[in-house]
Amino acid sequence: MKAMTPESPVLKVEKITKRYGSKQVVREVSFELNQGEIKVLMGPSGGGKSTLLQCINFLVIPDEGRIWLGGKEILHSQKKDLYEYRQKVGMIFQDFNLFDHLTAFGNVEIALLKVRKMSKNDARERALAELERVGLREHIRKYPAQLSGGQKQRVSIARALAMDPKVMLLDEPTSALDPELITEVLSVIKALGADGMPMILATHQIEFAADLADEIIFMEDGVIVETGPPAVILSQAECARTREFCAKLTGLYGDSR
Amino acid sequence: MQEYLTAVGDALPYLLQGVLVTMSLVLGAMGLGLVLGVLLAVGLVYGPPHIRTPFKLYVWFFRGVPLLVLLFLFYFGLFTLVGINISAFTAAVIVLGLISAAYQSQIFRGGILSLPEGQLKAARALGMSDTKAIFFVILPQALRLSVPGWSNEYSIVLKDSAVAYALGVAEVMARAHFVASRTYQHLPLYFTAGVIFLILTYLGTKTLRVLEDKVRIPGYVR
Repeated sequence: MKAMTPESPVLKVEKITKRYGSKQVVREVSFELNQGEIKVLMGPSGGGKSTLLQCINFLVIPDEGRIWLGGKEILHSQKKDLYEYRQKVGMIFQDFNLFDHLTAFGNVEIALLKVRKMSKNDARERALAELERVGLREHIRKYPAQLSGGQKQRVSIARALAMDPKVMLLDEPTSALDPELITEVLSVIKALGADGMPMILATHQIEFAADLADEIIFMEDGVIVETGPPAVILSQAECARTREFCAKLTGLYGDSR
Repeated sequence: MQEYLTAVGDALPYLLQGVLVTMSLVLGAMGLGLVLGVLLAVGLVYGPPHIRTPFKLYVWFFRGVPLLVLLFLFYFGLFTLVGINISAFTAAVIVLGLISAAYQSQIFRGGILSLPEGQLKAARALGMSDTKAIFFVILPQALRLSVPGWSNEYSIVLKDSAVAYALGVAEVMARAHFVASRTYQHLPLYFTAGVIFLILTYLGTKTLRVLEDKVRIPGYVR
């Protein structure tokens, strides 16, 4: 566990609710993320993890709920505030979503130029530094279609980091990867955590979660079923459903790191 | 046969000057159609209902009314009514361009819709406004995907341009008709006009094929 600072939480979400038709995909979810803290979202597919993460940066507009970053409430109807907020919230997708028409370098550079309005030189240096950081210096001229899944995901992490995010949201970052490519991505995420980046990470990698998380949030049917430190959730969860799910995951992924 | 060859030989320089006119018509119309078509496509895909509805009406109208009717309607009707004095050539470029825009909008719309949803999401997640996302992420990819459909549109506009003859624009067909009705050598002259159009179609689609390879994203499997 990392020490908590006495300041206000980096990110606070309150009673986030999202409905599709009559189905409530996310129901009154609230939590706070502190400086340097890592929370892992676990739970079955279709349980609302992905929708929740996308609600947090308004890629999906929640029907109800409030969100604060660094103590400031974000109103998504204020376009300028929304765009600034999204820069500060790095998002990593399960299927990478790299821009297919741009090289690895171009993917990292484009938002620096067009969103942060950096000079060509500054953007170049920054993009190179971020790609270096994720170990892709020699692949900068390659297009997404020429990269492996693990490399693509590392480019997408570099792309997000270049925006100087205050918090990172990672939506099953290794779920679309071949087993032997998972490690390279996990080690990048681990290094990020060690640097103190606050993160919310949805994953099925149970050992990784146990290793990295300050807290595990177990979600099913759109609600938070249980919350607690990994040692508790993974072995002696109060809720029978949580125990059952974790036991299955351990059987499946327990030794896949 | 000798007679035919002489007729063609005599008329050829005059017909070939018409190629310049025809190609100016085609390139002008396709350029206008490209700009309007992209705007229409973006509006049709991302626009709110009060934009989508008039855009749909536009596409319906220009795809639904025959070219000849539109040429006459605009040149003799609308342009005269509002007091715009333009040449038959300009009128033909505008009308062909407006029609092509309707068709091109559907090509680009298909290109945009074939992109994975995640592209727009990733762009937004980086703090891009929708306008920036469309400009820097969506269109560069959608336009690449549209090149094959676009080469189809080229051959259609090329052939449609022959109808500008009805306004008296001195393109290839008008010139063939002019010479044929003076010399009574209908067969060789219209035949030659046809061959010229075939060659122009070939050259155009070939060029677009080269463009298609040139803009292809490396590593992307067809």
